[in-house]
Order: sequence, then structure tokens, then C-alpha cells
Amino acid sequence: MPKDRLTEVLERYEAVIGLEIHTEITASNTKMFCGCPVAFGGEPNTRVCPVCLGLPGALPVPNEAAIEWTVLAGLATECDIALWSQFHRKQYFYPDMPKDYQISQYDLPFCSGGFVDVEVDGDGVGERLDLGGALPFVGPEAVAEDGGYRTRIGITRIHLEEDTGKMVHVGGSEGRIAGATHSLVDFNRAGTPLMELVTEPDIRTPEEARRFAQKLRAIWLALGVSDCNMEEGSMRVDANVSVRLRGSAELGVKSEVKNMNSFKSLHDAIAYEIVRHAEVLDSGGVVVQETRHWDAGAKRTSGLRSKEEAHDYRYFPEPDMVPFTFDPARVAELADRLPELPDARRDRYMADYGLPKRDASLLADDRETGCYFEEAVGLVGDTDARQIANWMLGDLAALLNAEGIAIGQARVTAAMLAELVGLVEDGTISGKQAKEVFAEAARTGDAPGAIVEDRGMRQVSDAGAIEAVVQGVLDAHPDEVATYRGGKTGLLGFFVGQVMREMRGQGNPAVVNEVVRRLLG
Amino acid sequence: MAITESDVRHVAMLARLALSDDQVRTLTAELSAVLGHIDELQRLDLEGVEPTAHPLAMTDRMRADVVVPGLSRAEALKNAPETDGTAFIVPAITGAGEES
Repeated sequence: MPKDRLTEVLERYEAVIGLEIHTEITASNTKMFCGCPVAFGGEPNTRVCPVCLGLPGALPVPNEAAIEWTVLAGLATECDIALWSQFHRKQYFYPDMPKDYQISQYDLPFCSGGFVDVEVDGDGVGERLDLGGALPFVGPEAVAEDGGYRTRIGITRIHLEEDTGKMVHVGGSEGRIAGATHSLVDFNRAGTPLMELVTEPDIRTPEEARRFAQKLRAIWLALGVSDCNMEEGSMRVDANVSVRLRGSAELGVKSEVKNMNSFKSLHDAIAYEIVRHAEVLDSGGVVVQETRHWDAGAKRTSGLRSKEEAHDYRYFPEPDMVPFTFDPARVAELADRLPELPDARRDRYMADYGLPKRDASLLADDRETGCYFEEAVGLVGDTDARQIANWMLGDLAALLNAEGIAIGQARVTAAMLAELVGLVEDGTISGKQAKEVFAEAARTGDAPGAIVEDRGMRQVSDAGAIEAVVQGVLDAHPDEVATYRGGKTGLLGFFVGQVMREMRGQGNPAVVNEVVRRLLG
Repeated sequence: MAITESDVRHVAMLARLALSDDQVRTLTAELSAVLGHIDELQRLDLEGVEPTAHPLAMTDRMRADVVVPGLSRAEALKNAPETDGTAFIVPAITGAGEES
């Protein structure tokens, strides 16, 4: 969809967006209510027991670690922790849920009433047309110097529940339900601890939704509660979208969009829905309250064609489990376990290493990336932090992208990158040579120092040795020397190039420049 | 509070119960009697009384996050009406969408 179409719609309509974000607690060793291991994939139905298969008589016993993770998640997002909470049963029928009810939480979730501050900058700023709007901005710095802004997104609640199994539909096209003859059910995932976070309808643009989800992922990663892999489904974001005419206080009818497995999809699906709602209203129609699926290939949403009966889950307290209590001292104890969160880490990188905000955010938002950065800087020294950052956001990021791997799997380790930067800083090799060494290290996993030795790449900085080469070059080009001395100083580059060629690129560029200049002068 | 036959049919549908007309009539009377009893309870003055969350007066029963052996796949699939040897086979799904 053309971006200006969204902007045009947003000039007349205000979008009201809330997110529901499910995150599997992959940090947990075991499932929510039984001792089966938590993992991704594997042979179907090999991590199951009577509890997660919903066999008659099996009794759930809650996993204390999963509850603590949920409380930590709540503390990291400024939630209040319930001093008294319990599980409820949510009744509905679906083959991936063998008990025919899901153990979830209803009116007494573990966490409620939090918030996350989201900063929007760059292209996405344009989606927000009324910065003076009704949202409570944080402080007078709401509109930042770079045209960005900050907005506070309320968190209604975070509750804990059990994930469902997985289904593969057979006989239809591309594994879809439509046209399928039967389905295969795998209960390996069933019972995995699943946090559901619900936001207030505080989000006004697709970009704010994307930034919120990214920020939340960064916080979860900093906590270590989940691997937050959207493609594997350990983090799943659904959006409730409605629009209303600007100035109207009444909420429009909402649709719920599912099946976005990337941040880009999240943004695009919401943008699509906003425009779709506006078009329905513009043509005099009525928006139908329904669940819609995002098709990332076709870049559109479609209704599920299910009969949309009002859901009636008949929640009641889970009789198989007794309630949970938290006293303030226990909450404080858990709060002490909170690690440094992404915003604090970013601010520290900016203050301690003088990194620009964008670079600092990129390094701080992923825990592994931040650890890699700090390990490398620790080895090479604070003054070279910027060099480390440049390598990480440049050559290393390109490498990870090309190979589709995480930073922890990179053959160039933090120690190797530190060594490489050290070799440049002490003048052993030039920046240009360093690029070659990096590429070689990325290919072979060899240490930069060893590569430099093997290839005889040592940079020559010795002025005496360089002088000899420069003299040779000047002797071989008497005409150019005369022209230079006649005033055509632009020829300097020519001489430097000749010297570097003679030295097979190993001359220290600064020293070569200086010597050429001196001998010509 | 009396309930109607249509309430009973609705609840039966939600619970996927197929009831005959006779059963609907019987259950309407019986469930109305149950709800009548609840009505009586609701007339009690319970100001300041904590709701009972559970008949057992205990809280915080949890387990450590330690893996324990479960069932083998053969055991897990043993009683299933239909399997392909690795997964449970269920009929094609129509109607309501997926939840989580």
C-alpha cells in the first residue's frame, strides 16, 4: 500500500490500536503445569505426559520459575504485582487443546497497570499527525531534537497461561484449513508457559505499534525470559484496530488482526486495516467486528469466515490449584534480580562511550549484541568503543545478515574483533588491511594476529624504509616531480598511489603521505 | 433467578452436548432449582467477608522447574482413535477460529 494513502486516511481518521502479545517463557526448563521439557520443534509428541495431554485424572502443578519470570516481566514494565492471584479455566473447544479448557487467568492476573515508553523517530514520525493529541507524553522533551517523539503505552495486564499444541492441516493447499481433509496434532508445545500482555488502546499509528513490540522484545531479551523468536512463534503479536473521525470521542468497531510473524508485518497489517476501515466507512458501510488473518505475501488481511458468535468462555476458578500470594518483601527481592534494561543500557553507552543514540540503541536492544560489545570494549579499552561499534554495525552486521546467524554464532568472536581493532590502533595494519583480515577471520575463524603474520600483512610505519621506496618512486618519475614542484600539487595522490603499490598496500598511509610530501617539498 | 429453555440450549451448545427436548425441559427445571438456591445464598449479608477462592485453606503450592520423564510417543498415542504413528489425527476443522 502506498504510504501516502495511509497518511491521507490518518488526516481524517484517528486510529486506536491495542496489542495482545503472547510470549513463551522459553527460559523455563519445564512446562507450566508438568515436568515435560520446554523446547522448539523436535519429533512430534515426544515431550508429553498425562497432564499436557489432558488425560483424565491428571493434575496440574504450577511451575514456580515460570511464575517468577512473569513477575519479573511485570516489574520490568512498571506493573503492579498482585499480592493475591489465581488461575481460571477458559472453556472452548479446539483440537490443539486437549482438556477442552485452557488454564489461564481472569480477574486476578499476576501483573497489571504498567507502561512502556516508546520513542518514534525516522520515517515513522510522519504517521503521527497530531503530536498535541490526547496522549500523555513524557515531559517536555516529547518532541526530540531529531523530529522524533516519545509516547507512553499503558499495559493493562500480564497474565500467565499454557500454550496450545500445534496442528498441521493435511489435504488443503499450503497447509491451510480450507479444503483440508484432516489435521495432525502435536502436543510438544502444549502446556509451555505463555505470558499474555495486553496493552491499553494507547497506540495511534502502525509505527508506534511496531516500536512498542520491538521495545518489549528488547526488554524480554534483557530479562532472558524468552528467545522471542517471531518466526518460530515464541513471540506472537495480535492487534486490535479501529478508526474514528478526528475529534470524535466515540470508539469505532474494531477488528483483530493475527498472523504477523515479523515487526514489518505487524506495521503493514495495521496500516492495511486502518485504510480498510476508512474505506468501509467512507463508502457508507459498517465495519464488522471480526478476527482477520494477515497474509504477508499478498499484503492483505482476510476474514476467517467463521461464524462470529460472541465468545462465552465461562471462566471459573481453577479448582485443581490453590491461590498464590506475594508479599512486598518477596516482590522487592525479585526486583533486585532485574538486570539492566535496554533504555538504561542505551543511555550508558551514549554517556560512557559517546556513541550516537541510534548506534547505542542498536547495540543495547539485543542482549547478546550488548554483551558482545561490552566484552570487546573491555578487552581493547573504552577509547576504542566507537571503533568496536562501527565494526559491529558495519562488517559484522552485514556478515550476520548474509549468513542468517545470531551474533553468538559468529566466527569472529568479541575477543577477535578486539584484537583486530587493537592491530589497527597500534598501527600494525591499516584500516583497509583490517577489512581484509576481518573477511578472512570471518571465513576461517583464525585469529586476526595470526592472519596478519601468515599473509605478511604487517603495515610498514618505519619512516626510513618508506623513505627509500618514496625516493625510488620520485627517481622513476622525474617529469611528474617537476610538474608537482611547478605547482600541480594535485599529483600528490599519484605519488602516494605509486608508493603504496610498490609496498603492496602495506605502507602506513599517514606516514607515506607525510614522507611523500616532505621529499617533494 | 429462573432460566429459560433457550439458556439451557445455549449452554448445551457451548458444552457441545446434544440434548433431547425432554432433557431440555427436565434440565431447565433442575437448573432453575439450583439457581434458586444460589439466590438464597446471595441474600446473605457478606459485607467484609473475603470470597472463598478455594475450599482448601492453603496457598502457593508449586513445583521446582525440574524435568521429569513423561510418556513415550507410543504410550501417548496408544488410546488415540487415529494416528499416523507420530501425531494424533483429527477430522477436518470447520467453524470457530484458532485461539491461544
